[in-house]
Amino acid sequence: MNGTVVKNNEICAGHFFLSIKLPASFKTPMPGQFVMTRERGRIDPLLGRPFSVYHFERSEDGATVAILYKVVGKGTLLLSRLGEGDFLEVMGPYGRAFDIYPEVGRIVFICGGIGVAPITYLASHCRGQSGTRNVDLTCYYGASKAENLVGIEKIKEICSDVFVSTDDGSAGYEGPVTKKFAEDVSSYEPGTTKIYACGPRPMFEQLSDLVAGTPLSCQILIEERMACGLGACLGCTVLLRDNEGQVTHARACMEGPVFNIRDIHLG
Amino acid sequence: MKDVRPEMQVDIGGLIIKNPVMTASGTFGYGEEYAPYVDIERLGAIIAKGISLGPRAGNKPPRIMETPCGMLNAIGLENPGVNAFIKEKLPFLSQFDVPVIANVFAETIDDFKKVTELLSKARGVAGLEINISCPNVKKGGIIFGSDPDMAHTVTKEVKCQTDLPVIIKLTPNVTDICLIAKSVEEGGADAISLINTLTGISVDIERRIPHLANVTGGLSGPAIKPVALRMVWQVAKRVKVPVIGIGGIVSASDAIEFLIVGARAIQVGTASFFNPSATVDIIDGIEGYLKRHKMADVNDLIGTFDEEGKRCSD
Repeated sequence: MNGTVVKNNEICAGHFFLSIKLPASFKTPMPGQFVMTRERGRIDPLLGRPFSVYHFERSEDGATVAILYKVVGKGTLLLSRLGEGDFLEVMGPYGRAFDIYPEVGRIVFICGGIGVAPITYLASHCRGQSGTRNVDLTCYYGASKAENLVGIEKIKEICSDVFVSTDDGSAGYEGPVTKKFAEDVSSYEPGTTKIYACGPRPMFEQLSDLVAGTPLSCQILIEERMACGLGACLGCTVLLRDNEGQVTHARACMEGPVFNIRDIHLG
Repeated sequence: MKDVRPEMQVDIGGLIIKNPVMTASGTFGYGEEYAPYVDIERLGAIIAKGISLGPRAGNKPPRIMETPCGMLNAIGLENPGVNAFIKEKLPFLSQFDVPVIANVFAETIDDFKKVTELLSKARGVAGLEINISCPNVKKGGIIFGSDPDMAHTVTKEVKCQTDLPVIIKLTPNVTDICLIAKSVEEGGADAISLINTLTGISVDIERRIPHLANVTGGLSGPAIKPVALRMVWQVAKRVKVPVIGIGGIVSASDAIEFLIVGARAIQVGTASFFNPSATVDIIDGIEGYLKRHKMADVNDLIGTFDEEGKRCSD
């Protein structure tokens, strides 16, 4: 669908907030879903870029979707140069969303780096769903350094407990985000806790080790290179592992990007 | 002049299609994913993702990498196998008034024959496109399409197994594509489609490893269009059977370039990835071009390339 850039602001070095105005017919994304963006008519870069939805709202004259992104290559560099009023095509929402459990008493979010974006949308959704019911929302948020903790204020508004970690110790706990989570994991009651995570692969590997051997449920949102984003090209394959240890393939854009952590073959 | 719609029908070797725009194998799945974005009945034909005798899991990830004006893919011909295709995928496609052409690949002549036989008995298959870019495992892995004799044999053996129109899809990774084209024409091909992807690689310079798990992949997209056009132009001059052009077509003007150099029809591939309605946009664009140039029939455009450049603009 044809969108128009509303805001494209650099929050900290190389990290941007982008909001795009869309027609009212754009379907409301569920937490965990993503959109593909591209500039119409451009053949280099050729492919759209996938971004998890960070925020979505409807107004009288349409809808607005927002993403957080980091400049990592050609596509995101060009995206960072768009200004208010520029056109941007947005396709979606695509992908399997997080499973939501309105009755659960405690929800734990773990995010590393730009993984905070889909986690924030999810957390906001969970807060909204809980209504008057008392639900504990806890967030572990890690980044390389303090300046890169984008969107931290928003997370603090939504979650009652927020534990920050930085690799260099410039804010919160020093070390990977999973280090602090490891200290608390045994205090989480499996029957009444749901865990959701999004971040770099090493974070998932550490998390996988922490929840293995416990009944704790944990869903993760993974990132893969994509071409079509809609399930046709089979380019975004991820390796899954079934109960017998057999490796199978799944599409990050259709069967994912949300997966149960125990299904992913992280080897 | 009254606003009469130009005639868009073309004959691609015994199969008449409503317009020259087809989907390229491997880029449209088996149709289901695109149905929400494309009015499938407007397409000239659908060429489904390649099928082999048995199911294939495909390559380990990473399978794709973007390159300037293009992309490399090493999907690895992942598919459910011919029986699952006939039972599970064909019924969805059969509900539309669009010819479905099954794309077929195999690693031995025998397997080519077996798959051809099975597909020829299935309801809903209007034609076959034979992918000869795969290795002949009985001959040390030489690509079928790189050897004129092997290409001839595959064509002949497949034709013996079926009454369906047979399109042979050529690989450009050869020294002389006209040799291969002539050879498959002599083998009985009803039409020839070209080009398949160009073999390429991409390097992660920080880690000094390939970007693709398979190391090599097939290059597609606008970057390959000049090569594809040149090959279509050369082959169309050498053979009498219809030639179907593939390679970097993302807009109607790209498609028209291929028609002008002699392609009877074209396939749209990678473009569908970033513009799901590319095929329909291109159909509309070709029609618009014909109207603007006061051509009543798309066949009046095909093969009108003025190599010496003497034509003034209309």
